[in-house]
Amino acid sequence: MLSPDTFREKYPPDELEAELPESPIGSLRDLQYLYGKLYTLATTGGGEYAPYLTPDAAGDLVDTDSSLIVVRVDVSGDDPRLADDKLGSVQVTRYTGDLIQQVGHCKYPAARGIDHSVTHQAGRNSDPEKLARYAKERLTKWATDDVVTEAAGEHPEGWIIERLAELSENEAALDTIADTLARKLGGESTTALLTVQVKTEPDGEYQWPGDIDVFREAMRQRKLSKLVTKNKADDSSGDATDLVTGSPARTVGTSEDPQNYFLGKQLEKFPGLNIEEAWRSHPISEDAAITVMNADTFVEACTYRTFGAKVYYLPYVFGRLAPEKVYRLYELLYRTVEDEETTPIEDAYREERRKTLQEQDFRFYVSAVMPHQMSRYDVFGETLNGRLHYPKQLAITHNEFVQTVSAFNRDHYTDWTAPLPTNQNWGLLETNDGQLHTVSTGWYFRQTFAERDDDDADADDPRIEALISVLSGEAVAVDVLLEEYVNRIIDEQTDDSEHEGFPSFLVASQFAQLCVLADDDLKLLQTTDPSKNQITQQPEYDRDTMPSLDEITIADGGHPAAPKLESFISETPALSPANDDDPDSVTSQRRGAFLLGALVGDIGSYQEYSEDRSTTLVDQYPVKSITRSRIKKVTQETVAKTLTYTRQEKKQQGNYPGTKADHIVDRLRDTILNPEPEEWEIETDDLRFYYALGVTYGMNDHPWNRDETDANDSISEEEH
Amino acid sequence: MSQQSLDDWTADRNGGQPDRCLSFTVRGPWGHFRRIEGNIVKQTYRIIPRTTVAGLLAAVLGIERDGYYDLFAPDSSAVAIEPVREIRTVNMPMNTLSTAAGDLQSLNGRGKISVKLPDPTTLRQQHNYEVLVDPAYRIDVALANEQWYTGLRETLAAGESHYVPSLGLSEHLADIEYHGEFDVGDGPQTDTVEIDSAVPNAVDNIVLDSGTRCQIEESPAFMDSDAGGRTTTGFTNYAYNPDADSLEVRDTTAVSVDGRTVVFV
Repeated sequence: MLSPDTFREKYPPDELEAELPESPIGSLRDLQYLYGKLYTLATTGGGEYAPYLTPDAAGDLVDTDSSLIVVRVDVSGDDPRLADDKLGSVQVTRYTGDLIQQVGHCKYPAARGIDHSVTHQAGRNSDPEKLARYAKERLTKWATDDVVTEAAGEHPEGWIIERLAELSENEAALDTIADTLARKLGGESTTALLTVQVKTEPDGEYQWPGDIDVFREAMRQRKLSKLVTKNKADDSSGDATDLVTGSPARTVGTSEDPQNYFLGKQLEKFPGLNIEEAWRSHPISEDAAITVMNADTFVEACTYRTFGAKVYYLPYVFGRLAPEKVYRLYELLYRTVEDEETTPIEDAYREERRKTLQEQDFRFYVSAVMPHQMSRYDVFGETLNGRLHYPKQLAITHNEFVQTVSAFNRDHYTDWTAPLPTNQNWGLLETNDGQLHTVSTGWYFRQTFAERDDDDADADDPRIEALISVLSGEAVAVDVLLEEYVNRIIDEQTDDSEHEGFPSFLVASQFAQLCVLADDDLKLLQTTDPSKNQITQQPEYDRDTMPSLDEITIADGGHPAAPKLESFISETPALSPANDDDPDSVTSQRRGAFLLGALVGDIGSYQEYSEDRSTTLVDQYPVKSITRSRIKKVTQETVAKTLTYTRQEKKQQGNYPGTKADHIVDRLRDTILNPEPEEWEIETDDLRFYYALGVTYGMNDHPWNRDETDANDSISEEEH
Repeated sequence: MSQQSLDDWTADRNGGQPDRCLSFTVRGPWGHFRRIEGNIVKQTYRIIPRTTVAGLLAAVLGIERDGYYDLFAPDSSAVAIEPVREIRTVNMPMNTLSTAAGDLQSLNGRGKISVKLPDPTTLRQQHNYEVLVDPAYRIDVALANEQWYTGLRETLAAGESHYVPSLGLSEHLADIEYHGEFDVGDGPQTDTVEIDSAVPNAVDNIVLDSGTRCQIEESPAFMDSDAGGRTTTGFTNYAYNPDADSLEVRDTTAVSVDGRTVVFV
């Protein structure tokens, strides 16, 4: 394949423009056509037969031992006969780069049958018997094939093929081929292409099929025949408008599609369930069909697997196919073929990041496909409108968010922890160089959504939907996120084998993701439920590393936990009292759940650290147990427990000022009782997620240097 | 039926546009306009294809299959399509019968007319159909054929329809709201024009700004019938805003219908 620079040199702008269709990309076929065109130009070059060859099919064999088996035939005399020069009737040699054009291989991608060209690719490590059969079939099967003989009959050089067919009736010659090959292979299996060389003039050289026009024409006819005869269709063709060029043409009905969205087999959409009429519902011209088939290499390079599905991420040029843009597209495709490690999204970003937003005019066809069988594909999400901007911006915004905002960053607090915990081992809680990889592979959602069996993708796997949404800039539904988050939390909390306490880092990761998706510029979060509107609003946490005035002026005389809680709640739209007046809002109820969680987390961690209890309130009231009907009871019991510990501490230390965790308890009292929890309208997943967030907050709410003072619990806990 | 000559119709028109049109909104809870790129996967167009609009109106008028393509030909009809509700899709699993050769049954196998049908007693296969949720399109249509045009106006005004209108598949029933007949006036004469309808064949003229979403799709626009059935004779490349807002377009000829700016094709 030509390097991007060589491609530019070989096809100057005006020449390239002449090869491209005039209409902009508006459908998958348009895009495949463009890929096929670029591939052909970059491999077999221009010319009549170029689009028909498949130079990559045997690409693995180039420069390997015993990779080319040549049956050599002399047709210059009266009777065709096998060569008897020093190379012999069968030559076993190396398939080298300069022979690619000369053998003119055109693969027919089917398990049975022979390739379109006289050159045929044998299966991996075929044994000598099989290879001998394939070698003989160059004469017995290919040369006598109906389409080939018909093509030969119409071609001035057709006699060459007729002579081959004649030789195929000579049993002695066939035996010689088999014996010679067996001897030369010495019993070894090999992976090889099989072809013929023909001498047509008594004093001439043996020529390769690529040098003899009739071989190429027969190959072309054979490949074309498959466009109209497949699965019992005899001639599925007719005159219609080509869907790629929009011009009238002979269109064909059973062509292949690199993505297998269209198969001749599925009759449902053909007029009268008749495969002969397939060209009516899918009118593609012969030329366009062949070119589309050649898109395969580029299409495959731009795919990757995730969640058991295959994701296509195919870049294309938005608007008119100006040569300058097409060169860039070619460069991108070329790099994607070369580099198998990264996703096409990362490749595209690496190529495009120096450009401004206006210059980044690539769009992407995105789809996630589950190929059940050859004939049954499910597409889970699809768009022609993906933009690199979306995944890239999500990755950047996420990194910035966890790095700078006060909710996740301790720099904002001098002697107290940030509201939510961070951990360098959690990809969503730390700035992460691989974040774009995370987003593009779907790992971004795999970390936070409920876990599923990845071997068998599901049409409604929300992780795939979320991935495709992000790649195409569509919003994800809040309801889906909350449901997935809560299921994952519950799974982690109830999984005894891996139970390592409350999954704080998971909840914090989920919350970070939720906040980032709500970013005003990204707008990747939506809901049709007015009670969840506030969740889709971007939280405005402090991004300044200096403490703000609010944080310095502390109302109750100095407990740092109180203003932190105050600001976290007021800066989180989903919890903020500022949104309580909205008639559809359930912010007060959500705040109640959050505060209850915070209290449970706070007391739970006190129990763990100061009381050395292995089962704490956090375990006693797992997320799964929280419902609207139970929340009042849990509140009562948690507050009662708080009072017990307050009394206990007072007894031990004498002068405890007020209730333990009173900054939470006071607020909780306000929210949890008005309205009565029985009258709450908040949905269970919503309730549970913010309860879990509260627990995470509460468990993490302590002097930030607790690790250092753990040895002396009484000192650190005095501050409570 | 008398067909007005095409020359007459275009001569009447103002810059190649009709001078009046009928306007209605078609909507339904679901819609599915199968894309021609796939018969295995059932993806849908976002904008109702022009050929589907023609079929829908033929159903309203009671014209038989393969009988209306001339009526909606490029030089004797004009259609503008405007999505009026945000375009949303979901995957909907549907149970379908196998059409593999072995699963087809011949009806009246020995008679002159033989039909092959899937065997209704076999197990269904489940396939995902991508369906539009709550699709709604405002459609402006003009026909050169005076008789059918008048007939269409009367049928729409009466809220009647000969066949049951649907959005793509017959199970996705459609509701048609008729707005009336309107003059087709000159559009804004500025360099860039805010266009309410989907914009045909003008991808390079769209003004892309970061706040507006613009998407592209190409769908069949015109059909012709021949002895064996029908074929597509033209495709249209639509640019549209999936949020059902307008798009800004440079150097284009748009017209004004009922205070909206639309482009006919």
